[in-house]
Amino acid sequence: MIPDRVVEVIHGPAWLYAGTHDEKLRPAHTFAVGAVVHSDREHVTFFVPRSRSERILSDLTSNGKVALAVALASHEAYQLKGGYVSSRPTDEKDLTVQEIYRPKLFADGLRAGYPEQIIKPLALGFAYRPGVAITFRVQEVFLQTPGPDAGKKIV
Amino acid sequence: MGILPDEIKPAMQGIIPSHVATCSLDGTPNVTALSQIYYVDADHVALSYQFFNKTIKNVRENPRALAWLVSPETFESWDLELEFEHSETSGPVFDAMDMQIEAIASMTGMKGIFKLKAADIYRVKSVEKNVGERIPLSQIDTRPGVA
Amino acid sequence: MTVEDEADVDLRGQIAENEKIIEKLNQELAKKSNDVRIIQQISSEITSTLDLDSILEIILRSMDKILGFQHVMVLLKGLAEEKLRVFASRGYANAGTGAAVHFGEGVIGVVAKRKKIMRVGNIGQSISYLLAVRAQMQEAGQLDAVQAPVKLPGLPNVESQLAIPLLVKDRLIGVLAVESSKSNAFDELDEVLLNIVANQAATAIDNARTYQMVEHLSRLKRFFSPQLAEAIVTGGADDPLKTHRREVTVVFLDLRGFTAFAETAEPEEVMGVLRDYHAEMGKLILEYEGTLERFTGDGMMIFFNDPVVLPNPAERAIRMAVTMRDRVRVLGVLWRKRGYDLAFGIGIAQGYATIGAIGFEGRWDYGAIGTVTNLAARLCGEAKGGQILVSSRVAGAVEEIVETEEVGTLTLKGFLRPIPAFNVLGLKAPSP
Repeated sequence: MIPDRVVEVIHGPAWLYAGTHDEKLRPAHTFAVGAVVHSDREHVTFFVPRSRSERILSDLTSNGKVALAVALASHEAYQLKGGYVSSRPTDEKDLTVQEIYRPKLFADGLRAGYPEQIIKPLALGFAYRPGVAITFRVQEVFLQTPGPDAGKKIV
Repeated sequence: MGILPDEIKPAMQGIIPSHVATCSLDGTPNVTALSQIYYVDADHVALSYQFFNKTIKNVRENPRALAWLVSPETFESWDLELEFEHSETSGPVFDAMDMQIEAIASMTGMKGIFKLKAADIYRVKSVEKNVGERIPLSQIDTRPGVA
Repeated sequence: MTVEDEADVDLRGQIAENEKIIEKLNQELAKKSNDVRIIQQISSEITSTLDLDSILEIILRSMDKILGFQHVMVLLKGLAEEKLRVFASRGYANAGTGAAVHFGEGVIGVVAKRKKIMRVGNIGQSISYLLAVRAQMQEAGQLDAVQAPVKLPGLPNVESQLAIPLLVKDRLIGVLAVESSKSNAFDELDEVLLNIVANQAATAIDNARTYQMVEHLSRLKRFFSPQLAEAIVTGGADDPLKTHRREVTVVFLDLRGFTAFAETAEPEEVMGVLRDYHAEMGKLILEYEGTLERFTGDGMMIFFNDPVVLPNPAERAIRMAVTMRDRVRVLGVLWRKRGYDLAFGIGIAQGYATIGAIGFEGRWDYGAIGTVTNLAARLCGEAKGGQILVSSRVAGAVEEIVETEEVGTLTLKGFLRPIPAFNVLGLKAPSP
């Protein structure tokens, strides 16, 4: 159910940010490095550095709600919302995905006009392993490209 | 009180996009990128409200927000716990933000179309600098990043 | 090591650390005092001259060499408009002098409009963000018209700008702006420095400009009505001192018998006559919006259609002339009683003249030259007391409104062929 273009962007690569909340409705946030859309086009797994995963996992096991923003440096963006399924430490396969992902992010930033001295540390300077692979089932997809239509539901 | 340190100011220059996470009353989280978070004073920040969106809607039901910023100088990231206080359509904060938006709008052929509706003022409840998540620049190409 | 020894080491370490901090603070203080001293020096330099170019040069040089701003612009506000023009710049391949910025356009235009300082460090990012929004809105059909981004003077790939309004009391004189192609190039200290420079600069520039204006205005007021002079100085009308050709109606007038009168009468009597005569003539010139190009005692040259283009200049000239004759007739009653033998004569012609600044450095006058002025002068010379002699061209232009009589062809000095001339008897009664 995830549209082709969104799958393309997620694999493409995209800048990834996940949001959750605790039982007091206090939001939490983390960036993720790399993501994979499952072949059923309903489940997505994204990789969060272990140092940033504790709070996220606590929230997810508590209420299961997650939002994942996926964006290109050109500002094309989408948001996927859904329910937590499972998590596990990242394995060799995941790391391979990440190793392919990271230089693509760097190239994406350069293409959008960011100077190298900004985009290099931004794309490649965040530690990403050991990591946690978090899987969720997507229930809604929204357009998030900035403008008056941002927030429009597309699935 | 002065909870925001001076060293965070470069992160509020809009050079690297910031992010804000909010949550609706019915428990649905929302994450979005922002072009800029504005420094108001050592206890407050402002977010610009141009088009009505989920973030704007959420904080008016549930005022808690989480902002994530990256410094364009050190590339360290910061987590700010915020609480939406009120919205302003006039005053020095609104004016400063409005002036910037007016200038950039005229430079992109969006004069009169892209306008500041309001400045949403948030109180900063906590500030946390994230340490230990950087890969030194010299090692970026040579070593996989260990957190 | 004993516990005391360890404490000792700690203490020494702390002292060394403190000394480093104190050293750093001293350096910063020295730099700040130096900055303030420099700015004080700049300020005394620019307030000691009234020459606008010198003032701008001092400001730019100081901004560059002393304060380290590599790209600086000074824009000044047009007097009667919501527009700025680049008056001076430094650090640009193309000086851009004269380039215009309207209020509300770009950082500089918004600073002028709101009269507040503005500092931006992420112009490239902001523009790309807004262009993305624009593209989305266009795709979604939400934009009615395509607006062009405004063209602005300055660096093509500017990332940072800091602009401050130049204000005297609350009046906007212009804007001082610095730029950089690096993002986040300016900080709060730069704002403080610019603030101090701007305060001094605003007053100095305002004084210099006022001085320029007053000079210019007083020169112009010799020829033009105060309103027109002001319009020219504030930029509302073209500079009439620039040489140009235009078709004008020229009126020459003088008093017959004045020379003899001036030789024999008492000085006070002569001045009295001139005072009354000038007062009346002056009122009418203003009323009919003529341009007084010269007057020499009793003689005057007035023309119509420059510097302001008028509808029916010939008609105005005739009406003014007729009214002048009537007024001088009234004055003449008094003069005759006192035994002054003075009579009034006018000559009017129409044609192209070369108009502009005549003279030399330090003494420029506004003047008109051409056959038309010679003709009007000669006609005036030929006019007997009480006559208004006009050329056939003028007679033709005003035949609807005045009664004329032929006075035959006149042989005039400087004209090969005799010129037909007409005397204006009076205004025709308006048709029912």
